[in-house]
Amino acid sequence: MTSAIEVSGLQYRAGPGFSLTGVSLAVPTGSIYGFLGPNGSGKTTTIRLLLGHLRADAGTIQVLGESVPKNAERVLARIGYVPERPHLYGTLRVEEAIQYHASFYPTWDAGLAAELQRAFRLNGAMVLSRLSKGELGKLMMLLALSQRPELLVLDEPTDGLDPAARREVLSALVEFVAQRTATVFISSHLVHELERICDRVAILDGGRVVSELPIDILKSGMKRLRVAGVPRMLPAPPFTILTRDLEVAGSETWAVQNWQTQHAEWLLENGITLREVIDLDLEEGFVALLQSRAVLAQPASDSSDFARLST
Amino acid sequence: MFEHLDPRSPIPLYEQIAHRLRVAIAAGELAAGAGLPSVRKLATDLRINPATVVQAYRELESEGLVEMRQGSGTFVGEVGAPRRARERATEARRLVRELLASGARKGLSLAELRVAIDAELDGKR
Repeated sequence: MTSAIEVSGLQYRAGPGFSLTGVSLAVPTGSIYGFLGPNGSGKTTTIRLLLGHLRADAGTIQVLGESVPKNAERVLARIGYVPERPHLYGTLRVEEAIQYHASFYPTWDAGLAAELQRAFRLNGAMVLSRLSKGELGKLMMLLALSQRPELLVLDEPTDGLDPAARREVLSALVEFVAQRTATVFISSHLVHELERICDRVAILDGGRVVSELPIDILKSGMKRLRVAGVPRMLPAPPFTILTRDLEVAGSETWAVQNWQTQHAEWLLENGITLREVIDLDLEEGFVALLQSRAVLAQPASDSSDFARLST
Repeated sequence: MFEHLDPRSPIPLYEQIAHRLRVAIAAGELAAGAGLPSVRKLATDLRINPATVVQAYRELESEGLVEMRQGSGTFVGEVGAPRRARERATEARRLVRELLASGARKGLSLAELRVAIDAELDGKR
């Protein structure tokens, strides 16, 4: 399977407080790839590196088969990009913004633009500075889709949108990819949104990719275990224990990753009674994953921020 | 038919979709020859990955319940009465398992469940 985006060993130091450390990603062509992480984890920085807006200190980036930033200008016309903060002139009217954008892209689909403008109920005569956040979000998606890109890079495309606008934007995105081969790289801190549409997710925290798996595998391996008779010296388990909460002496609740049913035997061999296995959804598993990292790397304000934001 | 799909459930979305269709076919709600929604329409309506819909339809195809015709869509196949009865029995067992598991979590004994089922049936008569 070919990759639309291939990143290896990416290092970038943004300042004294933040750096990306060894980010590697492979985004299969035609997939909808979720890029998940708390605010401040490095999602936008990674995206700006992918587009050649920033230069990495180390590592390699291939986007649609081209080396970035070396050949970035060759590849940018094939990418539809929705930035975290819209970069449009506030004095333009909606129809002017559409025309302006159309002039840059040889692949521009005026029919699709008109169709989306109708579906999104965007008034062409409206000045951009007077659009609501939802209308602006819809306009950004219209501009990105109408250029008929091979790759869509969406940085929090629904952040701050009301549920109705969010639905419309995501429906338009799904309809677009249902009709042609396009790869979608979508960053979000809204876990449930990605849970619906992604094939694969990478989880970024503190400038590192902490997990990268097909979503069904990621989810099926995340459990909460209620166990009893935990020995004081616990040998290394075949799964990953993210968090351990003591209930009463010897009884604990664990949040685990990479769990498989046959791991129950390992518990048995170590004299541990498995009381209950509870399924975690992506968000619960995610919060546990970030908590476990917060314990490893004190202080970590990011993860608590995230837990609050994502609920 | 696709209300209350649960993206948070550990059961993959494609399996949830396939399951709903299987039940509808077994119940005769979807008759032989009936067309299923196009991949594009269902994915857009549900705001899910089109690949998920394709995966659900492929699964049903491999079970011989639907037929995917290149270019024209996906249609419910000829499903004989014995096969439908089998699917219905499977679904009934699944519901009972769900009830028992849910009862066990709440600490309800089998006897208590039986009493409740009888009481419910009496109420219906």
